[in-house]
Amino acid sequence: MANKRVAIIASNGGLDSAYKVLNIATAAASTDAEVAIFFTFEALAIIHRDAAAMLTMGPGKEHYAEGFKRANVPGISDMLEMAKELGVKMIACQMTMDVTGMTKEMFIDGVEVGGAVTFLDFAYDADVTVTF
Amino acid sequence: MNANLVVDAKGLSCPMPIVKAKKGMDTLESGQIMMLETTDKGSVNDFQGWVKQTGHELLNVQEDNGVFRFFVKKS
Repeated sequence: MANKRVAIIASNGGLDSAYKVLNIATAAASTDAEVAIFFTFEALAIIHRDAAAMLTMGPGKEHYAEGFKRANVPGISDMLEMAKELGVKMIACQMTMDVTGMTKEMFIDGVEVGGAVTFLDFAYDADVTVTF
Repeated sequence: MNANLVVDAKGLSCPMPIVKAKKGMDTLESGQIMMLETTDKGSVNDFQGWVKQTGHELLNVQEDNGVFRFFVKKS
């Protein structure tokens, strides 16, 4: 069976965005799809080594925290680990890094740095493209 | 029905049952059977989509007291 290809753009920070991105990514990879995520602007916090401190629910969304615990949802670092194990390709946006002064060393292992075309090269042949 | 592998995904929410199913399947040979247990109601529809996309065969689905059992044969 020909594998599907899923291209994801993550451009928002926050804990809820991180889950939206990583849930779709791990579900797709578990369904034998080839998955790449392009992390740009605030979403770079998701792959930052200090993600746990940087990602919060944000005002008005605090009630999710209790629900996440009740639903036994894994932590973001576990989700990232799973995504990596499943072969999800993670691309950090070079331009955002230049603008914010972030370096590759600030991100978790396995992240590659690239520009828009690095992502587009993958996305041109994608069956599904989603943006968060 | 005898299973070659039993995977416990009870108490886990989406997408964990599917992630566990994928990992379990990767350890099996073609023709072998995995039995996976969940309590996630969404997993009933999710497994239909998962077998459709992966080509594995969903042999049987049972429900018992809120626990769903999926028997899947590896393609």
